[in-house]
Formats: sequence, structure tokens, C-alpha cells
Amino acid sequence: MKACTLIAASMLAISAALSGVGSASAQDSMVFTSWGGTTQEAQKKAWAEPFTASSGIAVKQDGPTDYGKFKAMVESGNVAWDVVDVEGDFAVAAAKAGLLEPLDPALTGSGELDPRFSSAHHVGSFYYSFVLGFNKAKLGGKEPKVWADLFDTKAFPGKRTFYKWSAPGVLEIALLADGVKPDKLYPLDLDRAFKKLDTIKPNIVWWSGGAQSQQLLASGEAPLGMFWNGRIFAIQAENPQVGLSWEENLTAADVLVIPKGAKNKAAAMKFLAAASSAQGQADMAVKTGYAPTNLKSAALMDPKVAATLPDKFTTSQINLDMAYWAANRDEIGKRWYEWQAK
Amino acid sequence: MTTVPTPSLAGEADLSPEPRHLAGLGAVAPALALLALFFVIPVVALLLRSVLEPQPGLQNYAEVFGSTTYLKVFGNTFLVAGLVTLVTLLLAFPVAWFLAVAPRRWSTLLFGVIVLSMWTNLLARTYAWMVLLQGTGIINRMLMQIGVISEPLSLINNLVGVTIGMTYIMLPFMILPLHATIRTLDPTVFQAASLCGASRFQVFRLVFAPLVASGVAAGVLMVFVMSLGYFVTPALLGGTSNMMLAELIAQLVQSLLNWGLAGAAALVLLVVTLAIYAVQFRYFGFGGGEAR
Repeated sequence: MKACTLIAASMLAISAALSGVGSASAQDSMVFTSWGGTTQEAQKKAWAEPFTASSGIAVKQDGPTDYGKFKAMVESGNVAWDVVDVEGDFAVAAAKAGLLEPLDPALTGSGELDPRFSSAHHVGSFYYSFVLGFNKAKLGGKEPKVWADLFDTKAFPGKRTFYKWSAPGVLEIALLADGVKPDKLYPLDLDRAFKKLDTIKPNIVWWSGGAQSQQLLASGEAPLGMFWNGRIFAIQAENPQVGLSWEENLTAADVLVIPKGAKNKAAAMKFLAAASSAQGQADMAVKTGYAPTNLKSAALMDPKVAATLPDKFTTSQINLDMAYWAANRDEIGKRWYEWQAK
Repeated sequence: MTTVPTPSLAGEADLSPEPRHLAGLGAVAPALALLALFFVIPVVALLLRSVLEPQPGLQNYAEVFGSTTYLKVFGNTFLVAGLVTLVTLLLAFPVAWFLAVAPRRWSTLLFGVIVLSMWTNLLARTYAWMVLLQGTGIINRMLMQIGVISEPLSLINNLVGVTIGMTYIMLPFMILPLHATIRTLDPTVFQAASLCGASRFQVFRLVFAPLVASGVAAGVLMVFVMSLGYFVTPALLGGTSNMMLAELIAQLVQSLLNWGLAGAAALVLLVVTLAIYAVQFRYFGFGGGEAR
């Protein structure tokens, strides 16, 4: 009996101490969570530092974003994050599942934000394209142009690299390469996509993170593949042999959300306004090579930089359908891992 | 290590069982509370999720055992863990032996190298292997230049890459318990065996092998169990057809948010691990360097 009381008492004490840590945070601070690496560094420089200077609200950085942790925090009611950078389809699914705070309508309804990347529960963080990237030096000077070239191992021998996880992108590329018209992509014909991928499966090297994708391309381990355009932008600065094709570039955005029950909601809302403002988005774009999600940002940018961003290649651009993915992610994920493990 | 003082055999009879039982519990209560808070409660919560989500029932377990994908991933996990354990044992044995018999200066230096490698960031070490092993990497380029091979060997994104990378990371966990056992061996025992007429092989089989068995068991257990749950290295050095369970669970938890299924998979892994511990405990006690 005594021992049980002791155990219960110590557990109570510990859990009280733990929950105290969360609620003790001051009102003039908030926590921003993103994916780490160069992107979060840019977000810190472009948004957090100027925001702290103008509002006096300290922004603590945390990360990487982890949807499992996100869900656990909201469910347990102990939310340590105030603003989180997430992928578009997660935001759509999370809003539906009640994991997000609705945003200030004055912010989302301002008319400045690209409607593709904002909703009542999220604003665009930055918008990127999946592009075809290649290393000219390793391809004998030949330049692949369209997604079908990734599947043509005769014309372009060697490994090609694709994004490893079940997420918008790879399946769309397989279907486009197989001749599906961009406006007929959705709903995805999964059988056809996997069949197309089967044709080059032994030649695929998978990348699971941006740094790995850059390493594969720069070293020539995989002389061509699909990449986030910002990662190509970063290696082009050092390696002029690296090129990219904007043909049928596939667009999606990371978005910023406030988890339901966030402790510093008011500060978070102000932060979102600053991050999605014309200036905040312009500063972010210049630092990363990703496009601004604020329609008024372009005017604030150096035209030379603006010309290299995904929003300049809209004629050949295809939007990844986040609503479709949000609704079908489970089923696609199952098929995806089944196919990969085969 | 502090241990709860055990009463002498004579004194034991004087105490009624109950107070002795409670006294022991009181001393370890804080540890038990921590274990309960950070281990037992989460595991029970996971168990509950695996039978409650998305609706009550055993469908998550049915899916884990009924799907060829998950069975293949289980198979991969055990194959990789077994292979890594075997290679680690083969490599670690001579090293542990050398550490035990080498002059102090050399063994200190070698210990330093082994421990230093353990302190280096895991991700950095894995990336280093990626750079070394890839088709355009140093190892392949060197072999091609000296003319041993004409085409680069596939050393990465497959079982070979995972085994090399994980073996490297697990080596210290095998070397240390082996070394602790070998160090305590008394060389005169082997001399005595030879003097009594045992052949070299008999000395090895009848004297040496039983004496190091507990160290081998401890090292094998540690490496095998750690390998079962390994995540970063197989994800980066393996191909998708070598996916291990930890990676799949991480995907289920972090991206697909299918916690019921992740819970079922995690529990199966946990049960298997505990079963392996039970076997080890049955035959070798808690192992380590101490003699049984």
C-alpha cells in the first residue's frame, strides 16, 4: 500500500512539474516550428528576427516538424508549438480533423495571398516546385527536358533519384511521363503510375531529405531526378554543371498553421501576419529560391532574382492537388509502401 | 552500483515475507515511478491504440500479420539484425582479444578510437558511409583505378550498404562486453588444459568457449536487439526493398498518422524483443562480464 502511494505521489509530482514548464512561458514569446536546415534558417532571418524587433515578441525556434508530435500535443492539450510549418495536404487533413485553430479572417481574406495556398486555417509559407534537375557533366552534355526523360534509360543511362516517401509528386510525374494530360491527372490512376515506375525501379535511388538529394546530384551518383527547385538553386550557385527544366513543374506549398490549443495564440496570429506579408514573403523568397505566396511580393524584389522563382514558370506549371491527397493519403501510402517493399 | 542489502540466509527465516517485500519496493519506488511514467504508461497507451483505433477490434493485428508488405518488412528486420550481429561478432572478437592482450599503451589508444567513434554524431557517420560507398565514391573509384573491377560495385542502397553501415555503428557494443570477459580469463587455465593433454581444438571448445560464452551472449543480445529497432542508418544506406520495421513505424506515426497500425507493429516488435531477453536470461542470467 505504502509503495503504491509513493509511486502515485511521485508520478503526480513529476507530471505537475512537467506541465508547469509549458504554462510558465511568458506572454511575450512564442514557439515557431519548421523543418530545420537552410529553410528554417531563412525563415528565422526573414520573419522571426524582424518580427521580434518590431513587436518585442521573442520567437523561439523548434523542430523538425513532426505530425505525430503535432497530433499528440493537440490531443493531450499540452501544445508547445504556436506556429508550425507543414505540408499543404497535412493542413487540409488536419483542419478537417479539428487539429487547427481557425485564423483571423482579416488575414486570410486580405486578397493579398495566393488563393491556391491559403484557407481559413492556413497561410502559405513558401511555394516550391518539383523540377527535373540534372548534372550536365555526368550526362555527356545531354540535357533532359521532360518527365518522360527520367524514364528513358536508353537516352539517359544511369541512376535517377526520386522523393522516397509517399507524398504528392512521384506518382504525378510517372503519369505525366506516361502521357496523361495535366488536366486529367486527378484522381490519380495508381495502377498506371506504379506500372510506369516498375519500368525503371532498379534504376531509382531514393532521396529522403533535401541535403541527400543535393549530394546525389552533385556527386553524379544520380545524374538526374526530381528535386525541390530551391535545392537546385542552392547547388547551382557553386556548380554550373547543374541544370534544371521547368517543363511541367509541379507546384505545392508549405503552409503555416496554428495548432488547436496553442498557448500564445495572439502572438502567433501576429507572427502569421508578418510572415505572410508582402515584405516577409519577398525576403523569404530571396533567401531560398522558393516563390512568395503573397501576390504583392514580386514588386518588392530584385527582378533578377524574381525571374528564377517558380511563380515565373506558371505557363508550364501544374498544381499538385492537396485536397485529393488529403482525402486519399492513407490508401496511397499503403499501396506506396507495398510497392516499394516488393 | 548500489544494491539492496540482502539478509543472510539465517536472518531471512526470521522476517515474514510481507515487510521484506515492501522494504525492497520502497527503495526502488522512484525508479519504478520513472519507469511507469516514461515506459509502462506509453506502452499501455500504444497497446490500447492498437486495439481501439480506428475502431475497437483486432483489425490492426490482422493487417500486420495478413499483409505481405508487413511480413516482408519483419523478415527484412530480422535478416538485417541477424546479419549485422554475425558480422559484428566476427570482427569484434579479434579486436577484443587484442585489447585484452596488447601492451597498455596500444590498448588505451585503440580504446580511444573506438569510444571516439561512438561519440561522433550518428547522422554524420552515416552520411560519411554514403559518400564512401556510392558508385562514384572513394572505395569504388580506388578499386577501379587499380583495376580490380571495371564497373562500380553496388555497395549502397541495398543490403550490403546497410550491413556495412550498421556493423560499423554496432562494433563498440560488441567489443566492450567481449573485452570485459576476455580480460578476466586466466591464461594458466589454458596451460593447465594443454598439460592435461587437451588438443588446441579441445582447449578452445571445452575451456575457452564456455568461459567467454556469457560475454558473447551479452554482446550478441545487445547488438541484435539494438539492430531490430534501428532507423537512421538503414533508411539512408538501404534501398526501399530493405525497409526495416522502425522506418515503417516512423512513417505510420509521423506522416500517415495511422497510430493504431503503428502500435500493433511496435508491440509485435516489443514482444519479440522481450522474448529474446527471456531466452538470454534463462540461459545466461543477466550476462555481461561477470562469471555466472
